[in-house]
Amino acid sequence: MTARSTPDARPSTRHPSSGVAHTLQLGWAGLRRDLRAADVRALFLALVLAVAATTMIGFFLDRIGSALERQSGQLLGGDLVLVQGNPFDTQVLDTLEDAGMTTARQVNTVSMAGFDDRFQLASLKGVAPAYPLYGSFQVDFGDGAETTTQLPERHTIWVEPRLGTALGLTLGDSITLGDEPFRVSGWILEEPDHDVGLASFNPRIMINLPDLERSGLIAPGARLTWRLLAAGPPEAVRSLDDQLETWQDRGIRVIDVRKDSPRIGRALERSQQYLSLSGLAAVLLAGVAVAMATRRYVERHLDTAALMRCFGASQRQLSRIFAAQLAMLALTAAAAGAVLGLIGQWALLSLLVQFLPLELPPPGPLPLLLGMLTAVAILIGFAGPTLLRLKQVSALKVLRRELAPLPASGWVVIICASLMFGALLWLYSGDLVLSAGLLIGGLVTLVVLWGVAQVMLSLLLRGAALLPRHWRQGSRQLARRRQSSIGQILAFAVTFALMALIALVRTDLIDDWQSKLPDDAPNQFAINIQPSQRDGFISALDEITDSRSEVYPIVRGRLVEINGVTARDAVPEKARHDGNLRREINLTWAATMPDNNTLTEGAWFSDEDAREKQAATREAPVGVSVAKSMAEDLSLGIGDRLTFDIGGREITAEITSLRNVDWESFQPNFFVIFPPGPLERFSHSFITAFHLPLDEQQALGPLVQQYPSVSLLDIDAILQQVRDLLRQVSRAVELVLLFVLLAGVAVLYAALTASRPARSHEWALLRVFGAGDRRLVRTQLAEFGWLGFCSGLLGAMLAEGVSALLYGVWLDLDVRVHPSVWLLMPLGGALLIGGIGYLLSTPLRRQAPMESLRLLGEG
Amino acid sequence: MSTPETRKQDVEHPGQDDSQRDEQEGHARSARPQDRTTILMARQLEKTVGSGSSAITILKALDLEIHAGESVAIVGSSGSGKSTLLALLAGLDTLTHGELALFGEPLSSLDEDGRARLRAGQVGFVFQNFQLLPTLTALENVLLPLELSESSVDARQAQQWLARVGLEARVQHLPKQLSGGEQQRVAIARAFVTRPALVFADEPTGNLDRATGDRIADLLFTLNRESGTTLVLVTHDPQLAARCDRTLILDEGRLHAHGDSTAASHHEPDGVDHR
Ligand SMILES: Nc1ncnc2c1ncn2[C@@H]1O[C@H](COP(=O)(O)OP(=O)(O)O)[C@@H](O)[C@H]1O
Ligand SMILES: [Mg+2]
Repeated sequence: MTARSTPDARPSTRHPSSGVAHTLQLGWAGLRRDLRAADVRALFLALVLAVAATTMIGFFLDRIGSALERQSGQLLGGDLVLVQGNPFDTQVLDTLEDAGMTTARQVNTVSMAGFDDRFQLASLKGVAPAYPLYGSFQVDFGDGAETTTQLPERHTIWVEPRLGTALGLTLGDSITLGDEPFRVSGWILEEPDHDVGLASFNPRIMINLPDLERSGLIAPGARLTWRLLAAGPPEAVRSLDDQLETWQDRGIRVIDVRKDSPRIGRALERSQQYLSLSGLAAVLLAGVAVAMATRRYVERHLDTAALMRCFGASQRQLSRIFAAQLAMLALTAAAAGAVLGLIGQWALLSLLVQFLPLELPPPGPLPLLLGMLTAVAILIGFAGPTLLRLKQVSALKVLRRELAPLPASGWVVIICASLMFGALLWLYSGDLVLSAGLLIGGLVTLVVLWGVAQVMLSLLLRGAALLPRHWRQGSRQLARRRQSSIGQILAFAVTFALMALIALVRTDLIDDWQSKLPDDAPNQFAINIQPSQRDGFISALDEITDSRSEVYPIVRGRLVEINGVTARDAVPEKARHDGNLRREINLTWAATMPDNNTLTEGAWFSDEDAREKQAATREAPVGVSVAKSMAEDLSLGIGDRLTFDIGGREITAEITSLRNVDWESFQPNFFVIFPPGPLERFSHSFITAFHLPLDEQQALGPLVQQYPSVSLLDIDAILQQVRDLLRQVSRAVELVLLFVLLAGVAVLYAALTASRPARSHEWALLRVFGAGDRRLVRTQLAEFGWLGFCSGLLGAMLAEGVSALLYGVWLDLDVRVHPSVWLLMPLGGALLIGGIGYLLSTPLRRQAPMESLRLLGEG
Repeated sequence: MSTPETRKQDVEHPGQDDSQRDEQEGHARSARPQDRTTILMARQLEKTVGSGSSAITILKALDLEIHAGESVAIVGSSGSGKSTLLALLAGLDTLTHGELALFGEPLSSLDEDGRARLRAGQVGFVFQNFQLLPTLTALENVLLPLELSESSVDARQAQQWLARVGLEARVQHLPKQLSGGEQQRVAIARAFVTRPALVFADEPTGNLDRATGDRIADLLFTLNRESGTTLVLVTHDPQLAARCDRTLILDEGRLHAHGDSTAASHHEPDGVDHR
């Protein structure tokens, strides 16, 4: 060929560069120019929000996780508390300290305190330096409450005000403990650890440990408990796991914050679950926004891609340029999102700061990494299949418009997005089965919703004839663009449902907390009421308060055999160290089931039943009701026979029912309830709980005097702390809700801007044909209104269904129907989408038709 | 009028018809130095679209040879297959039968990417509907092909080209802020900015009014001449076609050389250009 002889005409002299730097440069240039387009801004906004939500919640949970554990630790006095009946040897102490824990010794005992000729049983706490490990005391040294971490000085003690009331003390008086006098130097109002043990039923006396040792109270035969409090970083606690087992086997009682956290633990856990849930919702919403914005992005860039092919870009170069451009978009968004997330977690923490008197660990890199990963994953999963179109575009499209590659099928996009979301779920939760289950459930739900949306549109089309003119036209328009309408309805329904769900769960969670802790929740427990005192004490109590729980008998017994086998051998391996096997538990009897219990299996024993059993042979076991949690821990079921050792005598009972016990309620709760009768022959006392406002508590003085052996346990401080904490956690939850709502708005923005060019074109054409503004606006309003209505209705179905599932399975809340959702979502949806549609139509109204047509390159 | 048979001979025995060629290239000589390099060569080109009973053959047994530096017009009525031919020649589409070589490279031996690489920096396009990217400014639109083929791009180059098409004041404007004629000027600047060897123009004035169209044509031919580019122009407008060195008529899927009578009219518009 002639041309071969003249290399000048050959293109080899100028090869398109395909270096990485060049690709990045092209991508960056493209991205910078692209930020002018609404779809890229929507894409960016959605990614920023997703990353902000995940990093905010990630940072927050990461940093606060250990802090909340310590918060519980504060209620216990340490992250670990070891308890035994004799002094700890130094080996235990050394082991703890070697592991990196700070320790504090403590001795608790009950002793008679004497002043003048009055005596009162008091619980003594002998404390040594390093105590308190967490928190501080509130002590009144004579000039009001003061916060301190000092301990009482030598030869002085602090006492609880009610001891003062009982003995008629004033500050500076000396009381006798054992055979030593001690000067009362302060009223102790609050102590950082509220050990809800037997010793704390009596008024507290805080004393220096060396003083206690000297007082002669620590003598053989005295009822003493030695406690070793230890605090340290979570890793240190973890490293002690095996050691704790051996100690337990040696008879040391181990209280571990991670397992035995007090009742508020569950509420906090649920709030953390809520935050994770919100994070996922935000990610999903952002994903939907990304998917919608991507469609428009790709449509817009098909021309770019075709032109670039014309100008000589290879498919590979093209994919690289777009990949680079989007990667940079994702990373920039991730960086912006991370900054927002950092600010967000700081705001969350500052809400809780008063409950976190500790240094928080600095934000770690992990949430940041997760945020970046999330952005990229969302982009790949929710935008990937749609983006592939760009690569497939043929250069010929510049000449023949209709040659655009087929859009990715909606289902392909959904499946790809779901897979990616499932992977994210797996990454966040670490639970493959759960993630796969949710994934499949989600897809099935989408298919169902798709069917419902189809039906809705058909009904709308058929019912259109009955509607006024504009509404009719709007609904026809919607039904005519069936495929894209259904896509939008599904996306909006999911958006609305997620927004509603996060709002609902928030309200229900907070309501639930409040209902568990009503203002008149019992703040006092009266225990050790002897049978002979029962009637007198209760009627005296009813004089001063009208908010009292049932009175329950208490019999202390140890579970020794299950189905005739030694209990320890009958339970699963991991339950061997269960507290219910080690120590005596409180047994009670009741004719009717306590209010806050619900039967989950079997039947409650009726009176006749019990009497019949009693009348039958002595060997026939009586029925017994067991708490579900205990049954699960020890793998017990209906029909299993439990043998209890009560003061050396044994009683065997057969499980006839399982109950759900609300351990978070501040009410007397029991693992095991017998029918009336069988336990009455054992020695027992009674317990009741009641509410008495702080300022009325002096009324308890005479009661205490009259019934000195009855112990009163004041849990007001705990209650208050729990309330405050929950209030702040509720605020944190609200802040997160705001974020989810923002992500929802991002979806709407993305979706509606995506449909704008098509609408703009339609408007221009209609205008050319002579349609007036009023008519166009009304029709569009009606169309958007219907769109919002259908989406809201579908969203309500989805939200209600998912909330039922969430409450029942995950959050352990009562499943309920939310009528307001069914009303508000369709109407709110219609108003919201209609309103946005109206706003979006404003620029169209101002635009001359020619301009709209030219925008599309057809003018 | 050359029949397909004689055209075929042209290709097979290029030495035999010097007289015929001299006649056509006489006008070109006066404008620029003669370059005999073959830039584009098509033999027995056939394009069929669709399949089975709905298949239509748009181009049949079509032969064509275009040399460096010449400007060739392909005219035909609307729907005659001009755009289809242009797409084939530019390697944007694949042929059904025949052979096609661009810059001496047989296109059938290249895949889609290979053909794209062949175009890179070497081929410019001007389209009927301008094909500017709506979110890019005039300057960025001109930069686009430059950026694709060169790793370090000097924006001044693009600016100079915009100045040459008389749009130095509109560099930062978006396409929607420009009139149709102005948009096409940007497109022309974009076509020439890489200093391509070959420029394809598909109805470059088709979307413009007569006066604007004339000015755009002036610009196109001037730039083409000044940069010594080969131009393949497709149009239904004989007046525009007449300004090219050579005119070919597309009819019934075949190309015919234009008769002598119209060849004479080349001089007039050419003359206008020379002023
Ligand atoms: N891919 C295709 N499928 C079907 N018909 C096509 C295709 N490409 C071109 N045509 C038809 O071929 C004819 C020529 O088209 P085109 O090359 O665009 O004509 P021109 O540019 O000369 O007006 C038209 O009738 C067009 O409809
Ligand atoms: Mg055409």
